[in-house]
Amino acid sequence: MLNWKEKLAGSMPSDLAGEIDVYETQIELRRLGKVDEKLFAETRLRRGVYGQRYDNGQRHDGTRTQHLGYPSAALTKGPETMWDAPGMQRIKIPFGGLSPAQLELLADVAEEHADGILHVTTRQDFQLHFTHIDETPTLMRRLASVGITTREACGNAVRNVTACPLAGVCHTETFDVTPYAKALSRFLLGHPDTQDFGRKFKPAFSGCEQEACGLVHMHDLGAIARLVDGRRGFRLFVGGGLGTVPYQAKVFSEFVPEEELLPLAQAIGRVYARLGEKQNRARARIKFLVAKLGIDEFRRLVLEERALLPPDPRWTSYIGEAHAFHETPSKPPAPLDGAPRPAGFDAWAATNVHRQRQPGYAVAAITLPLGDLTSRQARRVADLARRYSGDSIRTTVEQNIVLRWVSEADLPALYGGLVVLGLGEPGAGTILDVTACPGTDTCKLGIASSRGLAREIRGRLAGRFFTLDTAARGLRLKMSGCFNSCGQHHTADIGFYGITRTVAGRKVPHFQVLLGGTWKDNIGAYGLSVGSIPAKNVPLFVDRITERFVRERRGQEGFADFVGRIGKQECRNMIEELMPVPAYETDPSYYSDWGDPREFTMGDLGTGECAGEVVSRLDFDLQAAERLCFEAQLKMEARDVAGADDLAYRAMLQAALALVKEKWYDVPNEPAVIAREFRARLLEPKIFWDRFAGGKFAQDFFRRHDGGPVSSGDEVRRLVEESQLFIEAAHACADRLRQEKAAGPPLP
Amino acid sequence: MTFEGDLYRLGVKIDLIEPAAVDLRALIPAFHRWIQKQALAGHLLIDVHDYSHVHEGPGILLVAHEGNFSLDGSDGRPGLAYQRKQPAADPLAVSIEGARAACRLLETEGLRFRADEFLVFANDRLLAPNTPEGRSMLESLLRKAFPGARVALAPQAADPRERLAYVVTLG
Repeated sequence: MLNWKEKLAGSMPSDLAGEIDVYETQIELRRLGKVDEKLFAETRLRRGVYGQRYDNGQRHDGTRTQHLGYPSAALTKGPETMWDAPGMQRIKIPFGGLSPAQLELLADVAEEHADGILHVTTRQDFQLHFTHIDETPTLMRRLASVGITTREACGNAVRNVTACPLAGVCHTETFDVTPYAKALSRFLLGHPDTQDFGRKFKPAFSGCEQEACGLVHMHDLGAIARLVDGRRGFRLFVGGGLGTVPYQAKVFSEFVPEEELLPLAQAIGRVYARLGEKQNRARARIKFLVAKLGIDEFRRLVLEERALLPPDPRWTSYIGEAHAFHETPSKPPAPLDGAPRPAGFDAWAATNVHRQRQPGYAVAAITLPLGDLTSRQARRVADLARRYSGDSIRTTVEQNIVLRWVSEADLPALYGGLVVLGLGEPGAGTILDVTACPGTDTCKLGIASSRGLAREIRGRLAGRFFTLDTAARGLRLKMSGCFNSCGQHHTADIGFYGITRTVAGRKVPHFQVLLGGTWKDNIGAYGLSVGSIPAKNVPLFVDRITERFVRERRGQEGFADFVGRIGKQECRNMIEELMPVPAYETDPSYYSDWGDPREFTMGDLGTGECAGEVVSRLDFDLQAAERLCFEAQLKMEARDVAGADDLAYRAMLQAALALVKEKWYDVPNEPAVIAREFRARLLEPKIFWDRFAGGKFAQDFFRRHDGGPVSSGDEVRRLVEESQLFIEAAHACADRLRQEKAAGPPLP
Repeated sequence: MTFEGDLYRLGVKIDLIEPAAVDLRALIPAFHRWIQKQALAGHLLIDVHDYSHVHEGPGILLVAHEGNFSLDGSDGRPGLAYQRKQPAADPLAVSIEGARAACRLLETEGLRFRADEFLVFANDRLLAPNTPEGRSMLESLLRKAFPGARVALAPQAADPRERLAYVVTLG
């Protein structure tokens, strides 16, 4: 039977194709029980393959907890994660930029491998839900055929590099940050210095200080474009983040010249990998390290690390390209002037169209309800992009899509095309454009239904949007299903996150209310918590607070200022009116969540995977060695003696490299150097040493290394066995190295 | 190329009669009850997902391990769609029966479905691309499944990017 791997051979970049082959082998090894489930979990997470709610094989059906009897019941893809349980595939889209062809391919894979819905996340990624792990290699190959990788979309790695969706066309930007976001994304992807983090690491770019779009202050690493004496560079921030307790990023440097951006990011990664918390997940983000050390000490350590870095041509090779970077519109610019405007156009244009810096061009926002669009809509959006925009589609952190470089004269036709698709709704960036994380719909950590609430509020506001005062229309609502802030609730005028309360022995879904986040200055201030109310009262609270804001605001007073002026106690009073929960017998609806008729329970809460598994670089490298050894065995089975010999040797070399790196992190990946250093640093000091066999396993390695390939079937079979034993010995050696490290002096 | 032995990602959609009278979200509790009772034979029913906010989308989705059921609104024609995800001995027959079984249950909730016509689609662009060759293969598969002259087959979706699909009208 023809398969996608064969069909796409030659059309995938070789590095991506190779990585996916490796991942597929890891799946096979896990099936055979040759990879520990924890290690496999982190492996798949680093390919963007997430678990989903109920994947522990249990679901409360409203009356009882039901056991879900998946066919491969004994097989897991992580701790308490059933193999057959539906999962989520996150797909990284650096700076949210994609071409029409990429969008079409995403549409195909959403239809064939998921539920036909493309979900745009709050970090410009796409997510596909209800996928099966067995299909993920195929899904990845198809994505790779259009240049998309899912690598490091999850796990303790560098996540998607986000950027302002108006980069390159915005009136307020210093320069277009797009090529820098792209360069950083490429440079850090799979970089050896970013493989040993205790938690995830999120970078972001903005072209200006004053707008919100780039969200720089809430990121682990943020860069805002600056020009100093005509030189391009960045105001660089570190240590921001939302989560349970949000941190504002600290200024690392007022000006980092463009040629220093990548090396400094690398040095920051090395310091984070070396000194960041690894065991306590709750304290492992870089924001805690920066807070613990202080920004001055952190900066000193990074600059010290920077000075030690061996030069890398990639640090600057992209800069010429960055300066020349431009996008090609489909059409020449033309003003809208007196062109006929279809019904509804003006209202749509008022919220969804922004004039570009380039005269005659505009950016059109496509409002996606809850960030969702169907495969069929996606194909038609690709068509519209080709016709009216060019190659420049971007996703936004507000879970929308924007088409840039639309000739203003084409806006009515574009709007007509969107209306046909059911995508012509106005209200982008307004109170109607509610942002929500997946919450209890699919997330294992979700406590309350953020999407259910968002859908309800949206539905209620849609009918009267045009009757709302403009001040109320301009507010932003964001909600998360729990305190982990994936819905970015701290950044909204009015934010919510899911919690639970017990009333007369029954659980009641609630939302904590946050007021006064500022959607400007790259998120200059976070909203503050004022109390919690039952989920069913949240829409009423939204009505009351917005009406009061409209009624009592002074002049052009913004919402955050309004909240500050009336005071926290007054806000609390408004909350308290809505706190009471009626008795179950009086109104049982309070005891169910929005959009879910089941009686509310916390029983479905699982173990989150956002944090990934704490698996060291050494573990990963040794697993890579095992995978090579396994492939050698397959070659033997296929009677490919030369292939088996090569792979068995490479497996040993990989294991040796993994160990040497513990002693000399920057060891060059050259066989001769690895062998020499392995001998000097591990064999001769008897660290790689078996209590009974002594240095035998190392000698097996050196025999093949010094003697070159072996050719007889018996010899190669023996070599494959020796390779396996060498890797086992490497594991034992790794344990000794860990003990040695644990017993050593504490890190500064 | 032949896909008959390999193609199992088939879907069947049966249109609603009087769809305007149906409130999709009001059927969410029915899907939850089905999960409580594991009411569809041969399926491990897992979860309900609300996509009613999406224009002409999957509507209300009932996820099962073997295949997904949805009160689907695509093409502006609301109906019950069943989409097979796991291999089966006779995937076409299993898909048709899957859709019909769900329709029978929904009829107890007051919904009515067309009995004279349904849509069959292949959710596999590798084995069944929307090309003349693919159409000819799917048509041949359907003719074998419905022998006799009293069945009309009409190909759908001229856009080759869309899934290969046929409307089957029973005489």
